[in-house]
Amino acid sequence: MRDWSRHVFIWPATLVVLLVTLFPLVYTLDLSFQNSRLVPPLPPKYIGLGNYTKLFGQERFWSVIGNTSIFVFVSVTLQYVLGFAIALALHSKVAGEKLYRITFLLPMLMTPIAVALLWKTMFNQQFGPLNQVFTFFGYANPPFLTENIWSYGSLITVEVWQWTPFVILMMLAGLQSLPTDIFEAARLENASSLQMFLGITFPMLLPLSAAVIFIRIVEAFKIIDTVYIMTGGGPGIATETLTLFAYQEGLKKFNLGYTSAISFLFLVFIIIFGLIYMVILKPQIEKRR
Amino acid sequence: MKKMFAGFLASATAAILTSGIAAAQCKPQSGMPDYTGVTINVGSQVGPFIASAMKQGGDSWSKATCGKVQIVEFPFGELYPKYLTAFAAGEDAFDVITFAPAWTPDLAPFLSEMPSKMRETDAWQDIHPTYRDRLMVWEGKHKSQTIDGDLHTLHYRIDLFEDPKERAAFKAKYGRDLVVPRTWDEYYEVAEFFHRPNDGIYGVTEAFARGGQQFWFYFTHAASYTNHPENPGSMFFDPDTMDAQVNNPGWVKALEDYIKSLKLAPPGALNYSSGDTRQQFAGGKTSMNFDWGDTGTVGTDPSQSQIPGSVGSDLTPGSTTIWNYKTKQWDEFSRVIHSPFMAFGGWQAAVPELSEDKEAAWHYVEHTTNIENSSIQAITGGSGVNPYRYSHFSKDLWEKKMSPREANEYLTAQRDSLGATNVALDMRLPGYFSYTEILEIELTRALAGEISPQEALDSVASQWNELTDEFGRDSQKAAYRASMGL
Amino acid sequence: MNKNSNQKIITQILCIAWLIFTLFPLYWIFVTSFKSPIAVTGGPTYLPWIDFEPTLNAWSDAFSGSRGDFFATFFNSVWISIAASLIAVVFGSMAAYALVRFQFRVKLLAGIVFASCGMGSYLLAKEIFDWKDTTSMGFAFLCALILSVISNRLPLPGPVLKNNDVVFWFVSQRMMPPIVSAFALYMLYSKIGKDSGIRLLDSFAGLTLCYVAFSLPLVVWLMRDFFESLPVEVEEAALVDDVPRWRIFLEIVIPMAKPGLVAVTMITIGFVWNEFLFALILTTGDWQTLPVLLSGQNSYRGDEWWAIAVANIIAIAPMLIITILLGRMMRSGLMLGSIR
Repeated sequence: MRDWSRHVFIWPATLVVLLVTLFPLVYTLDLSFQNSRLVPPLPPKYIGLGNYTKLFGQERFWSVIGNTSIFVFVSVTLQYVLGFAIALALHSKVAGEKLYRITFLLPMLMTPIAVALLWKTMFNQQFGPLNQVFTFFGYANPPFLTENIWSYGSLITVEVWQWTPFVILMMLAGLQSLPTDIFEAARLENASSLQMFLGITFPMLLPLSAAVIFIRIVEAFKIIDTVYIMTGGGPGIATETLTLFAYQEGLKKFNLGYTSAISFLFLVFIIIFGLIYMVILKPQIEKRR
Repeated sequence: MKKMFAGFLASATAAILTSGIAAAQCKPQSGMPDYTGVTINVGSQVGPFIASAMKQGGDSWSKATCGKVQIVEFPFGELYPKYLTAFAAGEDAFDVITFAPAWTPDLAPFLSEMPSKMRETDAWQDIHPTYRDRLMVWEGKHKSQTIDGDLHTLHYRIDLFEDPKERAAFKAKYGRDLVVPRTWDEYYEVAEFFHRPNDGIYGVTEAFARGGQQFWFYFTHAASYTNHPENPGSMFFDPDTMDAQVNNPGWVKALEDYIKSLKLAPPGALNYSSGDTRQQFAGGKTSMNFDWGDTGTVGTDPSQSQIPGSVGSDLTPGSTTIWNYKTKQWDEFSRVIHSPFMAFGGWQAAVPELSEDKEAAWHYVEHTTNIENSSIQAITGGSGVNPYRYSHFSKDLWEKKMSPREANEYLTAQRDSLGATNVALDMRLPGYFSYTEILEIELTRALAGEISPQEALDSVASQWNELTDEFGRDSQKAAYRASMGL
Repeated sequence: MNKNSNQKIITQILCIAWLIFTLFPLYWIFVTSFKSPIAVTGGPTYLPWIDFEPTLNAWSDAFSGSRGDFFATFFNSVWISIAASLIAVVFGSMAAYALVRFQFRVKLLAGIVFASCGMGSYLLAKEIFDWKDTTSMGFAFLCALILSVISNRLPLPGPVLKNNDVVFWFVSQRMMPPIVSAFALYMLYSKIGKDSGIRLLDSFAGLTLCYVAFSLPLVVWLMRDFFESLPVEVEEAALVDDVPRWRIFLEIVIPMAKPGLVAVTMITIGFVWNEFLFALILTTGDWQTLPVLLSGQNSYRGDEWWAIAVANIIAIAPMLIITILLGRMMRSGLMLGSIR
């Protein structure tokens, strides 16, 4: 009895994922060992690890990884801290809760390309409202999208704007799933809010936090639309991200072999990162269960 | 109740009958082939530019031949991957594709040749030879039809240039009259003169952003110094060895000029795409700009511009000194040589080999670009179609849209640029994107002041040479020579 | 009590600040959709009728179809999002539940068997039986699957992958930048279409299938956490009473996990509705979705803010409605306490 029901539960999802993702995965791996270019059409030949060694030797590759990493870690940290704080605020019956609940989620539901275009207008050095604000404070025409630190800041702002709602949503759902009796018991013992947070809320939500942060990091690494539209990769390649790099190689230059190598390395990198992440966090999570 | 039902039944039947009759009644116009039941899928960028022109042609064609036309629209940046992916997989997804001439080398293997009877009509002779015999041809075959003309022309503010106070001040400062600049040096004098950030007006505006059509603006600068009349086709590469020419002193001077433009442009220009330059000029913020024909149509339209009636046009500035790559020296000429640059080249329409309705598709293309339809498209603002036929240059067409003086200058500038003896063609090579990506990256670095112009261009040249070797030097050379008409 | 009211003030300020930060850009696009080109290039303008003259031009352009067919793509997006999200959430939560309540053991060697049998039977079918590419692939898949499941039951040496690893495998599907995957999927669909006549390119089934496959990882990963935090005792009590698993799942577990389920559904719909790359590559004329059309408003010859603004609003309106609807379902966390 137990045997067949577990299969019914898990196989539909497994089958769909296998069917759709298996071929692309194998194809990508296969291509990454070939010198395959669509344009100009060269007959592909196997070059073993040629693409990979070329990639490792390319300065642009390392610079791109650096950019993307800084970018991801700063914006995800901000998203988590802000998101959690706001989720707590919403959970604590603040006035206007209903309105907040709906409006706070909106940015996340917008198409990333549209968000990027929208913010590009806002950051426009001449016609944009932000320029007006800054000029008012005495700093006219800040180079939002053209100078290094500024462009990083602008891109991170957009990411935070769009994806903090994800954190808010998840943490709020988590907060709402917490059993209320523990809190009541703590309140009876006159625990302060801070104590309750650090002692109950945060630890109980640690597994969820870990999952949310992990997902945000994985997704953030794939950022492309925002950068493509707002800076095009920045002065030179100052703001070029990994996926943008892969996109140029793959869909503009149709340098398929090379792009496959990039994609695969990316996958490996994230898997390693994920494993490390889990190894570090696992004991913490198990402790609290 | 019964009455209502009967009435409904009757009218429904009547409707079905009449629509059936109407459908069956589609008869092709006299002299037109019957394409009932044929649907042509046309790939285009999202409208209104170009897509609306194709639609206009499509409607006219449907009425004439009873065929159907479906325009499928994509973001411009994704057209290229979409076409190539379909071709690579052997999919018959498009019967007609509209594309940029720069992509011709990469797409050409998949395109069918234009039927010869299309080249025997009077309308064929009406197409300007620069398009007809150079851009529409690849490897000796006519593989595409121009549906839009493209080149860069200069625009200037008539009101500013004719203001007596400005003229006096200019004469006092520079010792000569304020006229439309004929050389780049004059261009910068005028720009400096009008560059008054405190008054909210700036000298010039050009595109500088990576991914914002920036390199075409640079090419326009470069053409003046590197397109030597006696060395045709030597602007981008050495036509005999295929070595990159982009780091020769002509190109370096052009880059220095380009950087000067950045300093005389509104703040934030580093992130401008071509659309921004248009908006700046039409918003009255700069004294000059150069651009495709769009500045003309946008700037003269009162609903889109702050300066209608003040848009003057002329050839882009030229130079009296041009670099000679053979003698490795600057050659002096007694008069100014203009090298109008056919930036982008103008949209092309072609029929892929994979299409199952090739004959109908080419017929549609011919119909859409015939004299009558193309003229309607050329003067309609949102169509994105710029003149490419002799008949497009007739003034009557344009005087409905612009003031007579503006129309006159606009058309003269376009026509003279097209017909100039030293007109410069855009680069068309297999692997085009690989080359331009390198250029864009190094250009933005030079513009941001991270490296010097010479360093930037040297880097571009060496990377281009590597690319050429990787793609096959001989085949690239053959392609380059073909694209330059050698 | 001072502390409490201080806290309340801080929370209030935080919420209001965030509200302004969130809403201002949205207000901006709303207002921009009514602007004419002059109102945009003259400098930032904020209030209709006071700063600039509002016009309906951009809106009529969009609805007239001159900027792409908004009606058709809108409905395409709606159907595909609903279908893909529903299927993904159903399959995904089932799988997540299984991963939380059952112990799975997948021997690594069995995985290797899968890979090698797959390759072997593919080559066998293609070279020796001389079947078409896609039939060979299907054959290979089946063989590999059956053989590896059987081999899993045998006592094989080597490391054993447990539940967490299975979850990790699910999530890893989302980690690759989808560029080459999109291209590969296009090739696959194209081949299937040519070999067997089943049309997957530019079709409802093809795109939906793709979206389900790429949404599942997220659903599984997130629902697993929600299921884990549910008390096992209730289910065990029901098991003792001989209640079948599926009934436990539907009538006990799902209601308890409602906030999580609602949240995950919203996220999935958001993801599918806004997905760009696969929609671009896998569709042509018949099933083009909104994000593709939206990004096309940004024409290569200039950013037309008013058109982009209109497209944006059209794209976000349904999301707004869904947020409101699903948001109501998220309200009470009191539900949980009561079940105990």
